[in-house]
Amino acid sequence: MRWLIGVFLVWYVQFAFAGEFVVVVSSSSKVGLLDSNKVRDLFLKKRSFSGKQKLIPVNLLGDNEIRAEFERSVLRMRREEINHLWIKDHFLGISPPVTQASLASIRLFVERVDGAIGYLPKDMVNDNLKIVHEF
Amino acid sequence: MHISSSDFAAGVIGFLILRRHFILILLSALSCLNLAVAEETQYQLGMGYELNDAFTVGGYFSTEYGSGKEINFFGVDDLAFLVYGENDANFSYFFELEWSELYKIDYENNEEEQHTRPFIERLYGDYKYSDYLSVRFGKQITPIGYWNLQPINVLRETTSNPILSRRMFPKFLTGIDIYGYTPIDENLTYHLYLQGTKDLDNERINIDADRHVGLSLEKDFQNGWKLGTSLGNFREVNKDKTRYFQFNARFDQYRYSFITESNFSRKDPDIGKVERIVDIYVQTEYRFRPKHTLIGRVEYFHNDELGLKERIGVLAYGYRIRYPISLKIEYQLHADSNDNQLLTSFSVLF
Repeated sequence: MRWLIGVFLVWYVQFAFAGEFVVVVSSSSKVGLLDSNKVRDLFLKKRSFSGKQKLIPVNLLGDNEIRAEFERSVLRMRREEINHLWIKDHFLGISPPVTQASLASIRLFVERVDGAIGYLPKDMVNDNLKIVHEF
Repeated sequence: MHISSSDFAAGVIGFLILRRHFILILLSALSCLNLAVAEETQYQLGMGYELNDAFTVGGYFSTEYGSGKEINFFGVDDLAFLVYGENDANFSYFFELEWSELYKIDYENNEEEQHTRPFIERLYGDYKYSDYLSVRFGKQITPIGYWNLQPINVLRETTSNPILSRRMFPKFLTGIDIYGYTPIDENLTYHLYLQGTKDLDNERINIDADRHVGLSLEKDFQNGWKLGTSLGNFREVNKDKTRYFQFNARFDQYRYSFITESNFSRKDPDIGKVERIVDIYVQTEYRFRPKHTLIGRVEYFHNDELGLKERIGVLAYGYRIRYPISLKIEYQLHADSNDNQLLTSFSVLF
């Protein structure tokens, strides 16, 4: 019975949150729509640019639900795998993205820092932000 | 397996002799662990201490014990410190200072060795113009294959390295590497690398080259598979010239990894006949539980002119207390059974 509830919860989470979250940049940014692979590469620091604009990914600190959904839907990796990647990257001189403690501070960071890119619930997007990807 | 009770006793005695070093190392490791308990703080074990974007410091160390018919040793193999960072613009830097084979006690010959002089393992800057064009200048790892890019004990799955990563091409390059994604295929990366001088610090390098040019390409199929190739030539300080072609493939899943690299070289020595050298290895990894991995590797090496032919099989087990803390044990089977050996290691990335 437990596994059935588990399957239902996974199914529910996938559908309940589909399209509820967005990746945003400042409204003054020239960055256009980004596909899932590009967003993934930016947050895994395999890429750093959109055109000639250097981008600064910002991550949510801790185990928030939206971060888990971002990792599942966009990064398509488990937290453990992501941490292993950052450990390997440490040897190559690459640090994980900067973090912010709350969604409100992510929004402020993206609004104010040139090139910043972060993820938020869709209903937190304001006129100072531009959506470049939905998940 | 040739491990006699006297070998084992020698190992224990050696361990006791070195206990002060071990205590220091273990205390360092434990202090790292304590500092690393909280996630995403300024210090995280395996990710270094990040003061700000411009300054992160970390390092790694490894110890090894080996026993076989003709070897019996214990040593502190590597101790290194890393410093790196980036500015708000497009520039970043990296510096690695290493003590290699810092201490070794050879029980077979009753000898001790110490190498206390550090050397510059890497020192380079990166300028990123775009994702399609970046330039790395200085002493760096030669961008060939997979093993060569993550060569330290703690990041690999076996204590030993394949011959391919030690004998076929210079592991380091003092020069420039122009690299990035290709505009024609967003999942294809390139490296065009050039060296025109002697190595920045040739104290501990596998091949002392003063000329090197090559091109590496890698395609990421986004389904776990990656394929790559490298083509190049280098000249050693003694004027021997070598041309090489390498092919690599890997497949990674959460539980399984498969890696293969093959290298075909033609060496034109300044004096003597042309040597054709072939090396190929295949390695599989199975992570049967999150912290436990079983590894199997087979390797074939052949140098026709020198009549060298080696076939090596490696069976290994790795245990990661946490990912950046690795305990490994392996048994090597050689075509010449006199070379069979047991290797164990303990390594930490901090």
